Amino acid sequence: MSTTLPLGRVGERVKRVDGIPKTNGEFAYSSDLFAAGMLWGHTLRSPHSHARIVEIDLADALTSPGVHAVLTHEDVPGQKRYGLEFPDQPVLALDRVRYFGEPVALIAAEHPEQARRAAERIRVAYEPLEPLVDPERALEQEPLHDERWTHGHGYRDDPRPNVVRHLVIRHGDPDAEGAVSVSGVYELGIQDQAFLGPESGLAVPDGEGGVDIYVATQWLHVDRDQVAPCLGLPPERVRIHLAGVGGAFGGREDLSMQIHSALLALHTERPVKMVYNREESFVGHVHRHPARIWAEHRADADGRLVSVRMRILLDGGAYASSSTAVTSNAASFACGPYAVANALIESTCVYSNNPPCGAMRGFGAVQTCFASEAQMDKLADALGLDPVELRLRNALAPGDVLPTGQRIDGSLPVAEVIRRAAALPVPELEPLPREAIRLPGGAGNTTRGEGVRRGVGFAVGFKNIAYSEGFDDYCAARVRLREDGSAEVHCAAAEVGQGVTNVILQVARTELATDDVVLAPHTTASVDSSGSASASRMTWMAAGAVQLACRAALEERERTGGEVDVERIYRHVRTSPLDPETGQTTGERSHVAFACAAMRVVAEVDVELGLTRVVWIGTAQDVGAAVNPQAVEGQIEGGTAQGLGLALMEEIQTQGGLITNASFTDYLIPTALDMPPVESVLIEDPEPSAPYGVKGVGEPPTVVSTAAVVAALRDATGRELTRVPVRPDDIVGL
Amino acid sequence: MGALGNGTRGLAGGTDLVPLLRDGLVAADRLVDLRRVIPSGIDGTAIGAGTTLAELEADPQIPDALREACRLAASPQLRNMGTIGGNLLQATRCWYWRLNYPCRLHGGDVCHAREGQHREHAIFANDYCASAHPSDVAAALLALDATVETTRAAGPLAGLYRLPDDHDRNLVDLGADELITRIHYERPEQSVYLKAMDRKRWAFALVGVAAARYDDGVRLGLAGVAPIPWRLASLDDLEQATPLPGTAYKLELARALGRRAIAAVGG
Repeated sequence: MSTTLPLGRVGERVKRVDGIPKTNGEFAYSSDLFAAGMLWGHTLRSPHSHARIVEIDLADALTSPGVHAVLTHEDVPGQKRYGLEFPDQPVLALDRVRYFGEPVALIAAEHPEQARRAAERIRVAYEPLEPLVDPERALEQEPLHDERWTHGHGYRDDPRPNVVRHLVIRHGDPDAEGAVSVSGVYELGIQDQAFLGPESGLAVPDGEGGVDIYVATQWLHVDRDQVAPCLGLPPERVRIHLAGVGGAFGGREDLSMQIHSALLALHTERPVKMVYNREESFVGHVHRHPARIWAEHRADADGRLVSVRMRILLDGGAYASSSTAVTSNAASFACGPYAVANALIESTCVYSNNPPCGAMRGFGAVQTCFASEAQMDKLADALGLDPVELRLRNALAPGDVLPTGQRIDGSLPVAEVIRRAAALPVPELEPLPREAIRLPGGAGNTTRGEGVRRGVGFAVGFKNIAYSEGFDDYCAARVRLREDGSAEVHCAAAEVGQGVTNVILQVARTELATDDVVLAPHTTASVDSSGSASASRMTWMAAGAVQLACRAALEERERTGGEVDVERIYRHVRTSPLDPETGQTTGERSHVAFACAAMRVVAEVDVELGLTRVVWIGTAQDVGAAVNPQAVEGQIEGGTAQGLGLALMEEIQTQGGLITNASFTDYLIPTALDMPPVESVLIEDPEPSAPYGVKGVGEPPTVVSTAAVVAALRDATGRELTRVPVRPDDIVGL
Repeated sequence: MGALGNGTRGLAGGTDLVPLLRDGLVAADRLVDLRRVIPSGIDGTAIGAGTTLAELEADPQIPDALREACRLAASPQLRNMGTIGGNLLQATRCWYWRLNYPCRLHGGDVCHAREGQHREHAIFANDYCASAHPSDVAAALLALDATVETTRAAGPLAGLYRLPDDHDRNLVDLGADELITRIHYERPEQSVYLKAMDRKRWAFALVGVAAARYDDGVRLGLAGVAPIPWRLASLDDLEQATPLPGTAYKLELARALGRRAIAAVGG
């Protein structure tokens, strides 16, 4: 699908090109794909969270009506394992399953129902094993993996079993004493990305042994680089094309059905489509790491932080995914956007038989922000200081040094976002009587004002932009300038709903000074990698690459005349790994840049029923420079809603590692009634090393909103509320 | 009716049955469309069992408690399809039951929820099976003193339900070929339904309380507190509750909602 663009250059409010088709139901998502003669693929999954596979009997399934192929790990022609960072995950279970829903076998049939029925006729003999479900005990139990996949990559050498990564950041003298000290234990449940478009795609064999895969993903090239070796093919014979993405939020960083559909397609020599249903989607992608965090904050009598200690335990589930980076991110942002001279941060991620965890919007920073901001409120209380004033006294600023030893040399207007968010006027108390939906309990009509108390919460958070710790993070763009002055841009940056399509077009229009620009389909076949639509990096990176390519194309045309076609690669500043023993950066920086946000929340709580209403949210966010202010506001509102969901209702429930609420009936996400109006102030303090001064905007609102919402509930109820989601039973509780 | 039973199931709105079939919790060789067989529509205080929740929530002659219970059940799409008769028979949300654990409702000899996770579960009659009945509509109809007419008999709504035991794991006392045809209710002076949920809308009741005031006093029906819709003679009866550790909060909810519901109907 080529896209013609509306008017709009960098910095203008531009309507999203995909907005109207998505609203009208005309947008083609990956689940809408169709090819003549296609078969339907289906995945047989493990009903156990931990079991040995004794035998797989395919005989009945192979003779089932409509079936064209039934495949197991024996049919994987290349590498048997894959992984985003470490190849620890079997394409199809080998001799053991490690999580509930792990793929065991694949079926291709004429009709999806035939495929499902054939799956029921595959007889797998399992020998159930005791599942490892308590992350606190993981380090003393039998290892779940025979190999230590994540070891030998420059991380701290930790001989204990089931360690994915153990990171210690030691900064200054963590034993330094303060005038006051507060401590607490905090816990977060497993959050799901809950994107509306389930995993889906279409694999089409090219007739020459290669395959084209049309799929909703976040990073086309890293998919290809994982798929090809498993198929036993060179990368150029696997082409990945972006299909319509129905939300991602990190949940599409890892592969889902890519290798599976390609295996079936190559085996049957027919196109094969796979679409997960909702229940399958819950086991078909990684989730946000659940966490248990202990924190101690010490401050002097004026409220200046003296020392922060934190121990973070993350449950990574069965496979590594991006857990090593989440471990490090959680630690990097453990102290919040505050200057701290002394710190000891210990962050550990373990393997378990719980649902696999990996990337989700906020990526480790959400978990520690929740703990750290609760601690700041406790500290303010202990000191008798206003919570906003306490935060201002400790606000990080350019020139300050982070606990990793990195000096902030770019933009980071922490004090300004705090002041601007704190200055937003809080709405007045609405008089009674009110409509039920304007009271806690909502449509349930549970109160006419009885038991209702109001609270105001405040929180600040920050996070890195782009990939860190020495990762070679780049983005390519290709620009064709035709003789008639029109331009075609190729960039593989995945449009996951965040609006990067508009960003690319806006940059190209600005640089080429023409309206006549189209964006070519996103594919590995015509342009190099863009990197992932992750880590709040895509706007920055795509803008950088398209800007470079446009400028190069104009120069080339100046020199040669006629049609030109140039490709350029953009890289942000280099980062360095953290020292495995001290957690200190081994170069100038381990993170590229940072973005911060402050948020003020007004909530009402019916303290007799424990029901809540978030009344209003005001936020000031450090956005660098807004390429498209309308899209930035959309990201702030959406990101805030996702953090509110974690604060109030979202949690994957498990029993012995089995997901018990894998549906949108039982896993609740906020409705429009649960979301208050969001007043957002964009703080434009350009990032010196970024194109146009931009920063990513997708994650900071999610990082801060969980903490801010719970702070408001604490203010209203006087309860500690140390675990999210906070549900009615936590408030009326004993 | 003779066609029902023996692997044949009746289907009206299908909003409960179809997901149960899909999840393998109910088996059927054949489905019989009941929509032209079951009476539907509202006639005074008689409601055809095939009447949809959407019709009921919009009809001003229906008492507030029932209208509100219908309006708060599920989403508009489901209410446009789901019938009141089917709603009275809907299955529990107990995860153990839904995941096909060999629990008591599935014929086994243990209630997994009692030992395991049971935040959404029962505070009454939860010794044998701790599941909670999800029907908002049944709670409202209990408060409205409803009677149920079937293809075989007529009697109080409360008599439609039974607690499971070793001999019979069913929660309803209805033959395999017996269908609910009509529901009759007593018109109250005033009535209300209050529903505590985990979000503002589109969630099952943690606790739902219906109250209806009549000449002789206020009648109460509760959702989400027992394996079957639960009738309370008065709020004092909440003292008889036997909450599990994870459901103690539901007793607090029932107390507060009960007080508020009674106050709302001027009781």
